[in-house]
Amino acid sequence: MQTQSKMQLLWVEKYRPRKIEDVTGNDEAKALFIEWLKNKRHTKKAVLLYGPPGVGKTTLVMAAAREFGFGVVEMNASDTRSEKAINAVAKPATSYTSLDSFAEGAKSLGNVLFLDEVDGIAGNEDRGGVNAIIKIVEQSLVPVIMAANDPDIDKLRPLKKVCLLVRFQQVRIPLIIALLQKICLLEHVKAEFEALERIAQNSRGDVRSAINDLQSLSEENNSLTLQDTMMLSSRNKDVSMDETLRRYFSAQSIVETSSLLLFSSVDYDDLLLSVADNLPKRYTDATELAKAFDYVSRADLFRGRIGTENWHLLKYFNNALAEASAVNPESYKPFTLITPPIRIMTLFWTKPKRSLLQAICAKIGAKCHVSVERAREAYVPYIRLMLIKKPRNPLAAYFEFTPEEVDYLTKMGRY
Amino acid sequence: MAASEEALMWVEKYRPKTLDEVVGLKDIVDSLKAFMKNPKTMPHLMFAGVPGTGKTTLALAIAHTLYGPNWKSFTLELNASDERGIDTVRDRIKDFSRYSRAGFGGGDVPFALIILDECDQMTGPAQTALRRIMEVGSRTSRFILICNQSSKIIEPIQSRCAIFRFSRVEKQAMKQHLIDIAEKEKYTLLPEAADRIVDFSEGDLRHAINALQTASAYKDGVIDEKTVALVIGEASPMQVQKMIRKALYGDFMEARKTMYDIMGNFGFSGTEIIRQVQREIFKMSDLTPQQKADLSGVIGEYDFRLTEGANSDIQLSALLAQFAKFGKNIEDSYADAK
Repeated sequence: MQTQSKMQLLWVEKYRPRKIEDVTGNDEAKALFIEWLKNKRHTKKAVLLYGPPGVGKTTLVMAAAREFGFGVVEMNASDTRSEKAINAVAKPATSYTSLDSFAEGAKSLGNVLFLDEVDGIAGNEDRGGVNAIIKIVEQSLVPVIMAANDPDIDKLRPLKKVCLLVRFQQVRIPLIIALLQKICLLEHVKAEFEALERIAQNSRGDVRSAINDLQSLSEENNSLTLQDTMMLSSRNKDVSMDETLRRYFSAQSIVETSSLLLFSSVDYDDLLLSVADNLPKRYTDATELAKAFDYVSRADLFRGRIGTENWHLLKYFNNALAEASAVNPESYKPFTLITPPIRIMTLFWTKPKRSLLQAICAKIGAKCHVSVERAREAYVPYIRLMLIKKPRNPLAAYFEFTPEEVDYLTKMGRY
Repeated sequence: MAASEEALMWVEKYRPKTLDEVVGLKDIVDSLKAFMKNPKTMPHLMFAGVPGTGKTTLALAIAHTLYGPNWKSFTLELNASDERGIDTVRDRIKDFSRYSRAGFGGGDVPFALIILDECDQMTGPAQTALRRIMEVGSRTSRFILICNQSSKIIEPIQSRCAIFRFSRVEKQAMKQHLIDIAEKEKYTLLPEAADRIVDFSEGDLRHAINALQTASAYKDGVIDEKTVALVIGEASPMQVQKMIRKALYGDFMEARKTMYDIMGNFGFSGTEIIRQVQREIFKMSDLTPQQKADLSGVIGEYDFRLTEGANSDIQLSALLAQFAKFGKNIEDSYADAK
């Protein structure tokens, strides 16, 4: 059992249902799963819970384990690349009874193997997934519970022979609203109904992201208006990135972040950029920020060395990134994430300007024996002034500038 | 270039055409003249030095001296930093050295000339490939490699070249040169105004002449200090200065925003920004020499990381975070003193 610390918990963790009946929505799926747990485990050795993220798959498994008293041996499937690894975990799990169940009396049902995110399994997307799952089930000596995000039923169909497929759907909006209201009551947050409604709708049936949004929006004060929720629309819908970042920044130790990075399926480059973007919001103290950025800078060094082939260096990248998250766990306060990455947005919006300047500099370079970069630095500031001073300057014709380019130069402002 | 199309930029107009016209750089010019007497003895050359000190000018003057007015037919001028891939460079060099041979009006010069500017921007592999090209082509062509730092050029290439190092243009010579140009353009450049330009240019003749020409656009006849100050103020980089100050005063978010503006709107690379940061730091009057030295050490570290890392904006952000910490420490030490 966890001891409740003074530290601020993520509400998602704080209010994670402990009982099966408290898991919101998906009643049909719940019933099917419980039926299998109670009576049908001999018919099929495995069950696969599949559906969009944040609808309660993992929560349901954990709650059921608590209620029925079986031990859960959890493995993150995206990490499980070899059969050896599976056996290494699954075999001991069958030979020993878990200590927890000992303490609570003799009603234990033994252990089950829980593989989360099985769609992250095996490199090759077309072949890997399904076959890998079948292999795992065949090899396991204990019942297997798996969870996947892949909504593509056609892809999963071959699994029917070995697994019971249980489909989870998006949680209905009214249920999410009710849940958010409950949390607001417990956290003493005064929230407008319309605000909660908007958060719920925005979540697209993803309870986890709805609760996360609620927490981040009501972080500063204890009230929440519809106005506060307006920024939600600009939010990136990539839940797993959001989730990864949130857990990254609230991490209490390097170990915690390391395992998070190991299990997260987000793109390394996107993560690096987003961490760098949000770092100043996480560390408001200059000394802490400098230290954290030093780690991020090192992570970027390793990213550079990895290039396209040296992926064995990834662990150093992860380590450096993990250190940046835990410079001072004490100073963590929830904050609103900056997404999507600033650089991508900046470069996107400024592209036309930049390419115009690029063309101008290329023309200067051709006449003056310099590179584009040199032209930008040693010529543009002066040519700009000359064009402003003498509007009908023959320089424009000399460099073969288009009227658009002349216009740009005279209006661009100083570097 | 046809004679009818006169160069409008003074930097080009007054670029010396022959080695004799070159002002200063006496030692280098003397050695080069010795090669010119018997061109067959000329090795590959490497010119290294800070920008605006005459490297390109000397390379072009050599081409003039070797081939006369038709120099363009026998010279290939490439900017290694613009011609990204080594493949482009290789193809163009190969084609060039194949078709443009001596004996077709090039006098008794048995080779074509290839001027490769900003070589230090080339990656390691590209340089290795270049080394091979130099070997294969050495019978039919000579290279003049131009770079800012010879240390960034791999050893095997350096060993194939006669290396000439260019130092900053001497102040008095630069001043005289500016006054001469002004006179030819029918302007009078006052001595104080000339001093002002010389100081501002930090030994970079290109900046100095461009500043002079810009000042002439402001006023007819006499160019005084006031006009020059106006031009310098308008032309000197403001954004980088602004970025540094924001960071030192602890406003990291704003500093970073400015950084993205510089990159996004003006397309400066991380390397170029960090070079300007280094320059600006030394101009800041409110920092002690010790503080400047300390900051310079920090900048050096991140300049290096920039070349090794994957994202220059992350490295620059990390540098700005260091600045913010630095500013905070200064503030704390003042508070302690009180």
